[in-house]
Amino acid sequence: MTDTPEPDEIVEEPVAEAPEPEPEPEPEMVRADNVHKSFGSLEVLKGIDLVVKPGEVCCVLGPSGSGKSTFLRCINHLEKINAGRIFVDGDLVGYRERGGKLHELSEKDVARQRRSIGMVFQRFNLFPHMTVLDNVMEAPCRVKRESKSEVRERATALLDRVGLSSKIGNYPGQLSGGQQQRVAIARALAMRPKLMLFDEPTSALDPELVGEVLDVMKGLAQDGMTMIVVTHEIGFAREVGDNLIFMDGGVVVEQGAPRDVIGNPQHERTKAFLSKVL
Amino acid sequence: MSEQSTTERARPEAIKAVPVRHPVRWVSIAVIAVLVAMFVHLLLTNDNFRWSYIFVSYEEGKRGVMFTGPVLEGLRGTILLTITSMAIGIGLGTVLAVMRLSPNRILSSVAFVYTWFFRAVPRLILAILFGNLNILWSRIGFGLPFDEQIGKLFGIDNFNGQFYSIRAVDLLAGFVAGMLALGLSEAAYMAEIVRAGLQSVDSGQSEAAVALGMSRFQVLRRIVLPQAMRVIVPPTGNETIAMVKDTSLVAFVPVAGELWFQLNNISARTFVVFPVLVAAVIWYLIICTILMIGQYYVERHYGKGYGASARAKQRLRNIQVEQGGKITTTGETP
Repeated sequence: MTDTPEPDEIVEEPVAEAPEPEPEPEPEMVRADNVHKSFGSLEVLKGIDLVVKPGEVCCVLGPSGSGKSTFLRCINHLEKINAGRIFVDGDLVGYRERGGKLHELSEKDVARQRRSIGMVFQRFNLFPHMTVLDNVMEAPCRVKRESKSEVRERATALLDRVGLSSKIGNYPGQLSGGQQQRVAIARALAMRPKLMLFDEPTSALDPELVGEVLDVMKGLAQDGMTMIVVTHEIGFAREVGDNLIFMDGGVVVEQGAPRDVIGNPQHERTKAFLSKVL
Repeated sequence: MSEQSTTERARPEAIKAVPVRHPVRWVSIAVIAVLVAMFVHLLLTNDNFRWSYIFVSYEEGKRGVMFTGPVLEGLRGTILLTITSMAIGIGLGTVLAVMRLSPNRILSSVAFVYTWFFRAVPRLILAILFGNLNILWSRIGFGLPFDEQIGKLFGIDNFNGQFYSIRAVDLLAGFVAGMLALGLSEAAYMAEIVRAGLQSVDSGQSEAAVALGMSRFQVLRRIVLPQAMRVIVPPTGNETIAMVKDTSLVAFVPVAGELWFQLNNISARTFVVFPVLVAAVIWYLIICTILMIGQYYVERHYGKGYGASARAKQRLRNIQVEQGGKITTTGETP
């Protein structure tokens, strides 16, 4: 809960710049300024601020209904925010600011923004009518119009990386949940995103399948991928996270280095939540 | 290990039990056999069927009523009419379904009113109505609306704002009228079928596709529609088969190049009723049977990745792997 640069014992800090004496504008992958979101009269997000630097892994914890998934969906404009600003890699998400006025982006422009943001869903959402390989190849071929042979090579390599090279020709319905989620991760990575959003990626899995998905995510983090992970896996947050935010009731209650927040929570709500989860 | 101890135990004798008897089954088989025999007997021995009239020759020097020239022409017309009106129905129906699900209120209510009207009017009346639509206009074309009235406003009599026009009787009669009546009414039913199909696809699918940066059209074309097809195809098969039969309604438009019109014509000319009806039954049976076979293959195509059979095959393979990797078919071992 201090503003000092991160302690030394965290080894992996791949892209983040070394702390400098004078505060230069640091590169930010995600910046959320006072984000508000309502569904009808129900206010789900009540002013979220967040900065995620390139290469950082930010874990979002909180009880269900705290707005963490909604916040994640706002980052790639699956939900429209009602107030505030979200920037991804310096670009305002979903809008263009011109002459002090906001203009909604066209569908095409929003789609362009989404290309560089990968998302992994709780319920995998693989395309059931396509084989595993086609699932991974679909977006690069159709959206980016890359050459098929090149994409196939990359997709095969990605599937190998998530340990599924033997399942290339299978349909998602023939895979276990853990395997499906790993395909979903490969599918998102095939677009070469600069940011990955994970929406409770292990919540729909049988307990013995959680590990294989978390291992893939760990590998990604070590390779320097910027990630925002909504999760209930405290162990993962502690081990892999560079930053942890705890949300409740649509606000960020507490944030800081994961081991500080988990080991020594300051707020009552954080304490209450952690005591139930741990 | 415990596995070994189980394999070493002697396998007990396979069960050989006397199966349960089903006397009712035997009785019903006997009853059905008798009924079938009676039916075959009727077909073969009753001279009123006049099989030679149907198959061999219905008049001096003419082929059987099923294969005579005008009837084959009519058959061609019926098939053509089925294909064109179903094409209109499926195409327009898909557009209407997408409109109906659009967040734009105007589009969705237009689609609603369309389906309301065409589902509520009987096809037979619609067919006759379309055959008589040319009463409304002498010419049909593209041009300025209210051209004469606007012309009068500026003091010009008989101002003609038409760019291109054609005589209504030429356009809206016979085949075209029948095709439009059937196609437009079919679109209303297809719209509902397609809508049900689109709504059956989990919203997570389009969300995942959108998150990958796909455009709305790409999501529809590549992700949602192919999955909706699984739900859309079986009732569409039904509709197609129903359409084959409903083409006989356009005999009232009237459309001459149509199977039932031609058969009916011969019946009226030769005063032979029953064999002609039997010939019609046989032709419709043949067309519909071919369509049903086609439907089976289309369904199988769109069932990819879902079918219980695909999953069962995979499970079988997995079991084989577990049981020591004896794989004969694909040789794929993990």
